[in-house]
Amino acid sequence: MPGSASTTHRPEGLIDRLRSAAADGGEAKFKVLRELKNQIIGNRTKKLSYIKLGAVPSVVSILSSASSSVDCLLIQCAATIGSFACGVDAGVKAVLDAGAFPHLINLLSHSNEKVVDAGARALKMIYQSPSAPKYDFTQPKNIEFLTSLLDKTNENVTGLGATIITHSCQTPTEQTLLSNAGVLKKLIHLLHATSPQRDASLESFATIIKQNPHVITNHVGPQNGSTFRTLLDLTKDRYPRTRLLACVCLTLIKNATSSAYVESVGMRTKLILVLLELVEDGGQVGDEALFTLSRFIEDDEGLQKLAFEANTVDKLCQQMVKESLQGKRLEGLFTALGSICSNLESCRSIVLQSPKALTVITEGLTHTTTEVRIAACICLKNVSRSVKYLSAGHFMTEAVIMPVIQLLYDASTSVQVAALCTVSNLVVDFRTHKSLFVQSGGVKQLVELSKSMESSVRLNAVWALRNLMFLIDNRCKEEIFMDIKLFPLTRLISDSNACVQEQALGLVCNLVNGPGPMDSMMYLFTEDGILLNTVGRELRKASRTQVLVQAMYVMCNVASGKELEKEAVMRQLVNEEDAQSIIVSLLQSEVASLRTAVVWTVVNLTVPTGAGALARVVKLRNAGVVSQLKNMVNDPCLDVKLRVRTALGQTMTFGDFST
Amino acid sequence: MSLFWSVIRQLAEIEAMATSKKVITRDEWEKKLNDVKIRKEDMNKLVMNFLVTEGYVDAAEKFRMESGTEPDIDLATITDRMAVKKAVQSGNVEDAIEKVNDLNPEILDTNPQLFFHLQQQRLIELIRNGKVKEALEFAQEELAPRGEENQSFLEELERTVALLAFEDVKNSPVSDLLDISQRLKTASEVNAAILTSQSHEKDPKLPNLLRMLLWAQNQLDEKAAYPRITDLFTATLEDPAI
Repeated sequence: MPGSASTTHRPEGLIDRLRSAAADGGEAKFKVLRELKNQIIGNRTKKLSYIKLGAVPSVVSILSSASSSVDCLLIQCAATIGSFACGVDAGVKAVLDAGAFPHLINLLSHSNEKVVDAGARALKMIYQSPSAPKYDFTQPKNIEFLTSLLDKTNENVTGLGATIITHSCQTPTEQTLLSNAGVLKKLIHLLHATSPQRDASLESFATIIKQNPHVITNHVGPQNGSTFRTLLDLTKDRYPRTRLLACVCLTLIKNATSSAYVESVGMRTKLILVLLELVEDGGQVGDEALFTLSRFIEDDEGLQKLAFEANTVDKLCQQMVKESLQGKRLEGLFTALGSICSNLESCRSIVLQSPKALTVITEGLTHTTTEVRIAACICLKNVSRSVKYLSAGHFMTEAVIMPVIQLLYDASTSVQVAALCTVSNLVVDFRTHKSLFVQSGGVKQLVELSKSMESSVRLNAVWALRNLMFLIDNRCKEEIFMDIKLFPLTRLISDSNACVQEQALGLVCNLVNGPGPMDSMMYLFTEDGILLNTVGRELRKASRTQVLVQAMYVMCNVASGKELEKEAVMRQLVNEEDAQSIIVSLLQSEVASLRTAVVWTVVNLTVPTGAGALARVVKLRNAGVVSQLKNMVNDPCLDVKLRVRTALGQTMTFGDFST
Repeated sequence: MSLFWSVIRQLAEIEAMATSKKVITRDEWEKKLNDVKIRKEDMNKLVMNFLVTEGYVDAAEKFRMESGTEPDIDLATITDRMAVKKAVQSGNVEDAIEKVNDLNPEILDTNPQLFFHLQQQRLIELIRNGKVKEALEFAQEELAPRGEENQSFLEELERTVALLAFEDVKNSPVSDLLDISQRLKTASEVNAAILTSQSHEKDPKLPNLLRMLLWAQNQLDEKAAYPRITDLFTATLEDPAI
């Protein structure tokens, strides 16, 4: 006996016996199947090696040829197939490729409950894998079959129904189909059953209502008060996972509608407290509680305040300084902390005053897992929104800046984008600390990324450069401009993506604005004024308002210069061949911010000093600008109204030629 | 000065409260106890819950017939569960694993820690029986891959394999693994997992109630003298010490 163990346990031996059993039939089948099952359950390595040796088709062929009266054989087959599919994607594929699916479905209508159990378990394993095929809810007979599963008393069968929904329901149409078929009601009914049924039902309930206000209003609204009470009761359940899933459902309802139930402050605070308590769970439940909390409070300052009052920031900081945290936990902590710090300065102060929190966040920037790096980056961005700490140079230390710059070189685009957003924020107020960023090669990499094929990377890189350019001295401007270079900058201004254009024009604005404008103005005029020409072309061509506004502010800044600059702007804006001057058409815009930018430009062009002042006023008058301004003396926007009057006043200095 | 005196007065008050505890006589206490009505059915349910969870299937069956209390679980599953527990307790771990898999294949497929502990127990039994070659083979083929998946498994595995390194295992730092208590530990882990898979609580309610009783008495001791229960076996009320 002891000697034989090593040979029979070897996969090759067993697979031969399995093959011959599948071919010959008889008693041997049961014995060899049970042996195979006991070998692979819980043992990933063995599953993979048996899959490789082709065990799955043999098992499926035994199942397909077995008479429905040999219950014990059916059970062994189903259990073995289920185990191959459990936790191993290659197993799911092998099981489906071998055609096991219809045979397993047949088992569900067997008279022996144990056979039904085994079949349902195996199918459930398949549907728990992301590689399982999508269940088609658009077929009426499929919906019928699904609801029939949910109506059964067998917990494995109802569990299978719930798992199918969780796996396959993805679109709003599918959510509506399922809720109209009364599936939500059946799931709610199952919430009163045993605990595995409860968890599976809660999960698929959440899947159906997720981000679908329509389904929520029609099926979970205030008229269904009992659903609400059931969910509320379950937030006090004995099992942490059940409490978590109930919270998930309630937060989904809250985030999609302004239901009166979740609107009450007491109720919202309670949800936050339950979730915070669940965070104490060291396992998966605790991790998911962090993400649920974060989704609940993001985009809602009121909820962030409540979370702050419930000491959320302190608790998260305490969790964060614990030893050897797993990746998922760190990601969750950074995400939740990022959410709560997105608006409230009080939260940011607690993080920044906590002795180790910022260290843990910056350490997270170099974590091996991509998601953790992204979460740490976003967290740092939101924490660094604190103007007080930002202007004190709190973040311009090597410990913070070096890993952020390193992330600009990351292989993952999502990490790069997150890092660019963080840089954008960190460099806004930068005057006294910029050298560290520039010396560390930050600018060069930003410029590199501004040439990326990925428009999100390009956009955020230009955005960061724009913020970097904000209010810095001329020497620095020159350094940065030398890196960006003239022609690449003109290409960015005429980028195919309007958002990139907007940021690029904003960059030019910052370039020619600020202290000592005369020196920096020259960038627009080198190489026959190609930069200014490009901006002028966009003014005539672009359709997106924000692009027009930014382009007009470039003109406005230039028009604040001397004669040479003013004349250059005139050439861009007033062309005698045009039927209507672009100044006039842009003044007629419905967007107040654009009108403001144009009027400011006109004010700068009509300043009554300088040799060409009169000529410019005449040209503008001939182009119809003055009469357009006269139509605007009562503009609804106060800013526009006041500047229109200034501009008109300046044109009158030379006498009114309007008669 | 006045603050000092007020503190002293407060301390004196607290002391007075502590010494003059309220006394509740046996008569008063029994009268109070009689006012509390507990339904017979609820008591029976508690007893049934204890018998089922602890696996006393014969007693549960008898109690069902005598009291008419329906168990919240199929009594046949208790027999299966007890067979698994017994197999582990007597060192037949392979047999136990097969029985669990027949009961519900999901248990060991979704509970890596329990699966590892059962395999570890198998290794311990092989070593106990002096099957060194087999033990090494088993550790290498079955347990080493689990160690690669999980750091804490690896540490436990190393500790178990260390059993082979000592001539006199009884006096080695890993002697506890060969102790009967290790079998009991593994057996109770399997028992709990089977109960959870049957959506039944792992622990009976009765011991928890007794713990609550002791806690409540400790709280009450600070405030009053009353007939307390010290001997939980007989549950006799002792006269309050005044």
